[in-house]
Amino acid sequence: MNCTDCLEKLDRYVDRELTDEELEDVKRHLEDCPPCEDLYRLQVNMRRVVKVCCDQGVAPEHLRSRLREILF
Amino acid sequence: MVLVAEHVADTDRNDGFADEAIQHLDTLYRGALRLTRDPARAEDLVQDTYVRALRYQNSYQVGTNMKAWLFAIMRNLFWDRFKGGRPEDVSLDGDGQFALYDTLRDPSAMPEADVLDRIAAEEVVKAVEQLPELHREVVLLVDVEGFSYKEAADVLGVPIGTVMSRLHRARRQLQKLLYDYAQESGIVHSTGDGE
Repeated sequence: MNCTDCLEKLDRYVDRELTDEELEDVKRHLEDCPPCEDLYRLQVNMRRVVKVCCDQGVAPEHLRSRLREILF
Repeated sequence: MVLVAEHVADTDRNDGFADEAIQHLDTLYRGALRLTRDPARAEDLVQDTYVRALRYQNSYQVGTNMKAWLFAIMRNLFWDRFKGGRPEDVSLDGDGQFALYDTLRDPSAMPEADVLDRIAAEEVVKAVEQLPELHREVVLLVDVEGFSYKEAADVLGVPIGTVMSRLHRARRQLQKLLYDYAQESGIVHSTGDGE
């Protein structure tokens, strides 16, 4: 696998959307290729940071009460 | 007696549906906030989503992914209500939109992985909210909510390949927005000065 093939599969690697065989190929390439490994670490971190930052906050209590009246 | 039995069965089913649906309220509200970027609109969107979900609850198959089902309702309402139609009408999938960014892509535009941890949470949210809606919603579904490509494709009503291409563009754009912010705020220094 070369870098172009690896970068083409990197999103799917990060998102666990590759077949086992593809996953192994990418993994092996990353072990031998520091620039691709850097990009991989960046992608993983970005996904983590986006999740943590966007996953904060709760619905206002008045909305919850209103929905309870509608739903129940 | 039959009528009473039917009524009880209906009530049980409704209660189960409502119990499960309300568990997704915080998640839906956060998604609505990211989509509308406005707390009042987000509340309206969430309320309308639940009203519609209740009305069409018979089309929900018990045991399937209710969060995905609710997200699909909310996202369609969002496009109908706030954007004047479903996004297929105003597709951004052509290459033109991001050709500029492609030409700007260079190694110095790639922040170090640990730089991301030094960016304040509200700046990350702001960057996500700057993405075009078509890209923002796929980031919400996959990166924030953890949907698989298939689940996201079902919610959005598009092929998996479209999810992948939107996600790829969204992430590259996000990377650039965060890098620009990190530079402006002095978290990283430009490497393009030739010094």
